[in-house]
Amino acid sequence: MRTWSEMTTIQPLVSKMLVNSLKKERISHAYLFHGARGTGKHELSILLTKSIFCNNKTDFQPCDNCKECHRIDTGNHPDVHRIVPDGQSIKKEQILHLQKEFTYTGLESNRKVYIITDADKMTSNASNRLLKFLEEPSKLTTAILLTENSQSILQTIRSRCQIMALKPLNPLSIKNKLVEEGLSESNAKLMAALTNNISEAIEISSDEWFANARKIVVQLVEVLQEKPDESLLFINNNWMPHFKERRQLQQGLDLLIIWFRDIIYNYVDNSDSIVFISEQEKIVHSSMNWSREHATKVLSKIMEAKRKLDQNVNPALVMEQLTLQIQR
Amino acid sequence: MSKWYPKKGRVIFHVDMNSFYASVEAAYDPKLKGKPIAVAGNPEERRGIIVTSSYEARAKGVKTTMPLWEARRLCPELIVMRPNFERYRAASKEMFKILSEITPNVQPVSIDEGYMDITECQDLGSPLEIAANIQNRIANELDLPCSIGIAPNKFLAKMASDMKKPMGITVLRKRDLPKKLWPLKVEEMYGVGSKTAEKLNGINVHTIEDLVSTDVYQLKRLLGINGERLKNRAIGIDPSPVDPDAVYDFKSIGSSETLPNDTVEETEIKRLFRNLARNVARRLKRKQAVGRSVQIMIRFHDRRTITRSVKLPNYLEDEDEIFAVSNDLFEQNWNGDPIRLLGITIQDVAEKKEIAHQLDLFTYEQEASKEGLYKAIDKLNEKYGKSTFIKLNSNQEDNQPRTSFQKDFLDDYKK
Amino acid sequence: MKFVIQRDQLMDSVQNVMKAISSRTTIPILTGLKIEARHDGIKLTGSDSDISIESFIPKEEDGIVYVEQIEPGSIVLQAKYFPDIVRKLPQKTVEIEADDQLKVTIRSGGSEFHLNGQDADEYPQLPELHTEDSFELPTDLLKNLIKQTVFAVSTVETRPILTGVNMKLEDNHLNFIATDSHRLASRRIPLEKQTQHLNFSSVVIPGKSLNELNKILEDKQDSVEISVTENQILFRTKHINFLSRLLDGNYPETSRLIPEQSKTIVYGTTKELLQSIDRASLLAKESRNNVVRLQTKEKDQIEISSNSPEVGNVVEELSAKSIEGEDLKISFSAKYMMDALKAIDNEQVKIEFTGAMRPFIIRPIDNDQILQLILPVRTY
Repeated sequence: MRTWSEMTTIQPLVSKMLVNSLKKERISHAYLFHGARGTGKHELSILLTKSIFCNNKTDFQPCDNCKECHRIDTGNHPDVHRIVPDGQSIKKEQILHLQKEFTYTGLESNRKVYIITDADKMTSNASNRLLKFLEEPSKLTTAILLTENSQSILQTIRSRCQIMALKPLNPLSIKNKLVEEGLSESNAKLMAALTNNISEAIEISSDEWFANARKIVVQLVEVLQEKPDESLLFINNNWMPHFKERRQLQQGLDLLIIWFRDIIYNYVDNSDSIVFISEQEKIVHSSMNWSREHATKVLSKIMEAKRKLDQNVNPALVMEQLTLQIQR
Repeated sequence: MSKWYPKKGRVIFHVDMNSFYASVEAAYDPKLKGKPIAVAGNPEERRGIIVTSSYEARAKGVKTTMPLWEARRLCPELIVMRPNFERYRAASKEMFKILSEITPNVQPVSIDEGYMDITECQDLGSPLEIAANIQNRIANELDLPCSIGIAPNKFLAKMASDMKKPMGITVLRKRDLPKKLWPLKVEEMYGVGSKTAEKLNGINVHTIEDLVSTDVYQLKRLLGINGERLKNRAIGIDPSPVDPDAVYDFKSIGSSETLPNDTVEETEIKRLFRNLARNVARRLKRKQAVGRSVQIMIRFHDRRTITRSVKLPNYLEDEDEIFAVSNDLFEQNWNGDPIRLLGITIQDVAEKKEIAHQLDLFTYEQEASKEGLYKAIDKLNEKYGKSTFIKLNSNQEDNQPRTSFQKDFLDDYKK
Repeated sequence: MKFVIQRDQLMDSVQNVMKAISSRTTIPILTGLKIEARHDGIKLTGSDSDISIESFIPKEEDGIVYVEQIEPGSIVLQAKYFPDIVRKLPQKTVEIEADDQLKVTIRSGGSEFHLNGQDADEYPQLPELHTEDSFELPTDLLKNLIKQTVFAVSTVETRPILTGVNMKLEDNHLNFIATDSHRLASRRIPLEKQTQHLNFSSVVIPGKSLNELNKILEDKQDSVEISVTENQILFRTKHINFLSRLLDGNYPETSRLIPEQSKTIVYGTTKELLQSIDRASLLAKESRNNVVRLQTKEKDQIEISSNSPEVGNVVEELSAKSIEGEDLKISFSAKYMMDALKAIDNEQVKIEFTGAMRPFIIRPIDNDQILQLILPVRTY
């Protein structure tokens, strides 16, 4: 479990607000935690729940060692109810279970916490019932709704919740976290540039497809520099077969963007910001081929290519055009 | 695709299960396949009669209603079984479920046959494709054979399904009639029983063609209004609609509608539900009826279709209630996929005068205040002889005789 | 933890607590059965979170030793296997031992089972009974209170609070009330001891829990000790504790809805009425509502009738003891009427009507403790 001070480094604002309400013993009846994957929604909800139930707190920090804390972790706390959608939606039995719980007193005390993951998957009907119930002020009940997409939660429901917007993590702290997780410095830096989602980053970094994608991007740059005549051939024979789906192609272009951004960082002597640190020599080499001005142009062309892909333009066509533009 | 569908007019299917009871038995016990089987009222008793038999038995001359001893004489290796109505009901229910996933316009006629109006089903394919699809699904999922007749009306569809058995699909268009229909003997015509056939033979009408060339007035004199109807049918006219409610004694009332575009827009979905609820409420009111179960149908963009229903503690009748319940059901069951069609059906429908309204402890005061009014109505009723305890005859629309067994099964096939 | 126990006693206890265990729980630990060895005996616990049952096997009772070699401790065992294991053990005595690694060994005669246990700390903490805020009822009286009211609770969730029985303390009387809004059943009894010390005045007990309790209570047991905590109610018999969560919320005030005057009073024989309604409902059951009609006639006669369009009709006249007040024609659910009459603990019954559209009240002729109320049916 993370402590409040750890959470404060990741989500300073939200952590501070929650700690404050714990201090004042003014826990809301309903919270809506929203933020992208990996921003700590789940960790925060567990930490808050433990802070509510733990009898052994020091400065609002649950001990993580008592019966209450243990049982919150194992799912055995009888008055903590967790709803995790089963596939596309929250199942009927889960809603029935919730509704039954609403009408019963707690098992150990009347303090109850409901944690609802992917709350946007709850039907408006179910969530309305949930909140209607929560509005009865006498109840010692707290619901924590978690979502990646607060826009798909009905306005009527959002208005009844205290909304906690979880900030995307900054690349440096993501990089540091990834290093903590055991990634190499260079890999961590690359991942942090690609995503602000820790779990996704770890997933990608161990993905064989991605390792090859990275290689092909570097190769493409080399072909563009050394044998520009063969670049279209390379696109057809090496690039397209690997980046089969649009999503993959977008990721390839993201890598290419990072490469050209690194060229620019090289020009402005901001080598700390260079992402491809393990390829620094090649970046320097590339800088001889593309002027700073040209690299900037290339960046805007890649962005344009990405937009075209989103608009469903034929991927091979987009890539061929882009390669020609990069060659100048 | 729409070239398969007439610009005016309808496309009607008649789906007829082939030797249904025997086929169900064979589906349960594949060892029976290919053997002569018969289902008889009481196999032990010599006087038992054949209810139905497999094609293998029919080939030996075994016929429905034939005494058992006679059947055994014609076909000594005949396997005779008692009827397992539970099995037939279950199979029939599944069969109608398959049909109702194509369109809500299904009119069950008996346990093993029904009509469908697929005029609005362009987007599911050509009529032949739809028919083949139905036949395949029934064969694959239930292991049962059926024949399907495709025609512009119910009568011709019924005649068509009879033309090729088992596992036939027969299209009968108006232009096919002289060649395909008219040469048949008049008693083979649906709606002509042995008595009518006798009468017709009496005026020298032996084939359907004879019937067509006979003067309407002569037929009317002989058979009354039925004479005109028979002749119309013979020349391909049968306006009777496929009425999903007809067979139930209006035990269910439903309405469905295709959206102009596949949609996930909640406002649009709600608007359609509102319309459907209004439509259903209007029809309930017209029939002076109330209902206790609400079923919704959702067809998705990929034609996948689900139905979900709920039984309520009280009867409901008005638009708002129907809308609220349907909407609840929808929200509980929609997975967010784009929707093509929605439907609402009210089941467990009863005439208002048949049912009673249970008063409620927390609200009875409101109704009790109207007691004087009800008393007055009661007095009037007494004076004019109409007691609230006598049920008025509901108009029996359908003229097909039905066993009570068939009837209650038909009531529940959709559940 | 370790102890040696008589298998039969253990088996009885296991069967008792198994009544509370459900495999369909959302709390993983509750699929298990908790065993707690104490110096004075062994306590088993089972729970589905709604109800919990604790069964105690004393170390020794009436000079008979049930448990020996007790080393205190506790463990949770999978309820899926434990009862069958105990039932099939070869010897009269069983030794159960758990080590620090939560490994459990069950020995009896030559057979030895090894099971993985779970940490008893994971198990819910159930409230303890405090004698100072409890009161006692004879078991048969409690069973009567339940039987005379619980059938009237609501089975639909539209008003969840009505799925429970309201237990109320008022003027040294204990009141059980249940209603599904179509009928109401209540029973009121005086309490012998003062009740000021009790820390509750009104709670709502889930009907399901009371039905379970009724099944578990044996008529022979002497008395039940009842106490209420903020979120649970506890019923304690000699060796069994039965706990139930409560329904959260305010029970509607029903007393003002019960008519105080009546326009027609029918006195009759409970059994005759019950049988007559039963016969009439034979046909009524076939129709949708199971409705019968009662009409007062001259010379203290009442007519019970029912009509089911598709089946037929039945008319039956029976003599009332006496009829007072206005003529009446009223329709009601045969089932509600039969439930109510069955709950009347008396040969003679008094039925008070205030019109065809208002609730009517059924009581034993000579006591006010039992009150059954039914809302009539209006035919369109």
